[in-house]
Amino acid sequence: MTEAAKGSRAAGIPGLVRGLAATARTLARPTHTSEYPDAPPSLPPRSRGVIALLAENCTSCMLCARECPDWCIYIDSHKETVPATTPGGRDRQRNVLDRFAIDFSLCMYCGICVEVCPFDALFWSPEFEYAELDIRELLHERDRLGQWMATVPPPPALDERSADPAEVSALGKPARAPRAPRQAAAEEGQA
Amino acid sequence: MTGLDVAFAAAGTVAAASAVLSVTTRHVVHAALWLVVSLGAVAGCYLVLGAEFVALVQVLIYVGAVVVLVLFALMLTRAPIGPNEEVSASPLHRALAAVLAAGVTALLAAVLVPLARVVGAVRRGGPGTTGLGEQLFGTWVWPFEALSVLLLAALVAALAVAGMARGRGAGEP
Amino acid sequence: MSPAVEVLVRTVAVLAAFLVLPLLVGQTEHKVMAHMQGRLGPMYAGGFHGWAQLVADGVKFAQKEDVTPAAADRPVFRLAPAVGLVPYLVALAAVPLSPGLVGADAPASAVLVLAATAVGILGTLMAGWASANKYSLLGAMRAAAQLLSYELPLVLAVASVCLAAGSLSLTAIAGAWSPWWLLWQLPGAFVFLVAAVAELQRPPFDMPVADSELVFGAYTEYTGLRFAFFLLAEYAGIVLMSLLFAVLYLGGWKGPLSGDLGWLWTLLKGFVVSVLVIWMRVAWPRLREDQLQRLAWLGLVPLALLQLALTGVWVVATA
Repeated sequence: MTEAAKGSRAAGIPGLVRGLAATARTLARPTHTSEYPDAPPSLPPRSRGVIALLAENCTSCMLCARECPDWCIYIDSHKETVPATTPGGRDRQRNVLDRFAIDFSLCMYCGICVEVCPFDALFWSPEFEYAELDIRELLHERDRLGQWMATVPPPPALDERSADPAEVSALGKPARAPRAPRQAAAEEGQA
Repeated sequence: MTGLDVAFAAAGTVAAASAVLSVTTRHVVHAALWLVVSLGAVAGCYLVLGAEFVALVQVLIYVGAVVVLVLFALMLTRAPIGPNEEVSASPLHRALAAVLAAGVTALLAAVLVPLARVVGAVRRGGPGTTGLGEQLFGTWVWPFEALSVLLLAALVAALAVAGMARGRGAGEP
Repeated sequence: MSPAVEVLVRTVAVLAAFLVLPLLVGQTEHKVMAHMQGRLGPMYAGGFHGWAQLVADGVKFAQKEDVTPAAADRPVFRLAPAVGLVPYLVALAAVPLSPGLVGADAPASAVLVLAATAVGILGTLMAGWASANKYSLLGAMRAAAQLLSYELPLVLAVASVCLAAGSLSLTAIAGAWSPWWLLWQLPGAFVFLVAAVAELQRPPFDMPVADSELVFGAYTEYTGLRFAFFLLAEYAGIVLMSLLFAVLYLGGWKGPLSGDLGWLWTLLKGFVVSVLVIWMRVAWPRLREDQLQRLAWLGLVPLALLQLALTGVWVVATA
C-alpha cells in the first residue's frame, strides 16, 4: 500500500499479496511445534544428555578428574591389599572407589572425561530431565550416575566404509613370527 | 423542575466548573484535559436539548480532533508533570482576565436569563438531524459554503507556508 | 417488560458482549497467528486447545501489582485506562446485530460510534503523557499524529455510506444495503478498513507501540489490571471496527434465513473481518512513520473524497 502510494505499484501490491499467500499456506500446513512434555522429543544419536558411570569398570585412575576442564569430577578412593592367591605369591594392591561424583552445575558437556577413560567406565546418556530447583542438588553421586547406565544406548554402528576397528584388524593379521636369535648381540657380549 | 431541567443544570454546572478549572490550573496538560470535560459537558447540554447530531459532532470534532491536536502540541513542548510556573500569568494579568471574564459572564447572563424565563422549562425539541440538514443546506447554504471556502483557503495557505519553510510542500499534519 | 428492567437487560447484554467478543477475537488471534507461523499456540489452559488461555491471562493480570511510577501524574495515569476503554463500550452498544437486536438504537448511531472511538484515543494520549517516560511520550505522540491523520479518511468513508443510504443510523444503513454496494462502495470499504486498522494501532500500523524501539509505547509503564484494560480496549476496538465494517459494507444481517438468524450473519461477517485484521498483522511488516502519514494524506484522503464524490453523483443522478 505504501509503495502503491509512492507510485511503484509493481513492487507494492504483489508483495503484499505474496505475504498474505505465504501466511495462508503456512496456516494450511501442519505445524512444527513438538509438544514436549506430552510427546518425547526425538533426539539425534550421540546426544549429550548426562554422563553415566559404570562403577565396576572404574579403576580410580583419576584421568577423567584431571582432564576435566572445569574440575567437576570428584573421586575418592583407597588402596586395599588383595592377599596372594597362590602360595608364595605376592600380595597385590588395588584401588577401591569410595566416591565418584559429577557436579553438573559445573559440567560443560565437553565429553573429555568420556574420551579419556581407559576402561570404558563413563558413557554419554541422552537423558536430560534432571533439572533441580537448587544448584547444589546438581552434584550427583555414584549411585545416581550409575542409574543412568540403563539409558545409555548401544554404540552406534560404524559407517559402512570405515576402516575396521583396531581389535578386528589385529585379529586378521598373521601371528608374529618368532624372534630371530640375536646373533650379533650374543657375539658382542662374548667379545 | 423536570428531569430534563436537572440533567441540563447538571451538565451545565459540570461544563462551567471544568471550564473554570481549565483556566485556573497550573498544570498545562490538565488544562487541556479539563477542556475535554468542559466540551463533553457542553455536548451533554446539546443532548439534553435533543440536538444529538450537534452533540456528537461536538464530541467528534472538539474532543476527537481539536483537543488531540492541543495535546499533541503540548507534548512537543517541555510541558512538565506538575505545576508549571513559567506559564502562569502575573497577578495583574490574572485580575484583568478575571474582570474580563466576569464582564462577559454578566453580559451573557443579562441576555440569556430573561430569555430562559420566557422559554420556561427545558424542552427537547429542535429540528432533529434531518431538519438540521435541510436548514443547513437550504436556508443557510450560502454562509455554510462561504465558511467551507474560508477553511479551504486557510488549509491551502497553511500548506503553502509549510512548503515555503521546508522547500517542498507535504501534507503533514 | 418495564423500562427499567429493559435498560438493565440491555446493559448487561452489551457488557457481556463487550467482555466475551474481545476474548473470542484474542483467542482467534492466538491460534490463527500461531498456525500462520507454523506453531500451535496455547494448548494447555482449559484443556481443549487452550481455550481458556485469555481467562488465565486475566487472572494473572488481576494478581499483579498495580504500579504507578513515582514521577507519574497519578490521577491522569490512573484514569487513562478507563478513558481508553469506556468509549468502546459505548460505541459497541450502538452497533446493531439485527434490526431488533441493538444495545441502544440511537438515530445518529454512525456518528455516535465515530465520536466514541475518537474519545478513546484520549486514553492513549493521557497514558503516554502521564507516565513520565520518554518511550511513553514518544508513543503517545506517534499515536496522536497517526490518529489525527486517519480519523479524516475514516469519517469520510463512513460519510459516503451514510450518503448512499440517506441516513445516519446504522440500522437504516444496513437496511438500505444491497449487494451492488460491494462494488459501488469498494474504495470506501478499502479506505475504512485501512483507516480502522490504523486507528486501532494494529500492525502494520503499530508504529506507536513499536516494541523494538518504544518498548510498548504509551502503555510501557502500565501493569496489572490497568494494562489489561488497554489490551481489552484494543481487542474491543477490533470487534467494534469489524462489526461496523460488516454493518456498513457487508450488509450486516442480510443473507439466507436473515429473518431468524440475522444477528448470526452480522457476527459471522464481523468475525471474518477480524480474522482479516489478524491476518494483516501476521503477513505484513510495520510501516515507517513517514510512510504512515504519506499513505493517509496522499492515498486514503483523496480516495475517500473520490468515493464521496462518486456516491454523491450517483445518489443525485438516481434520485
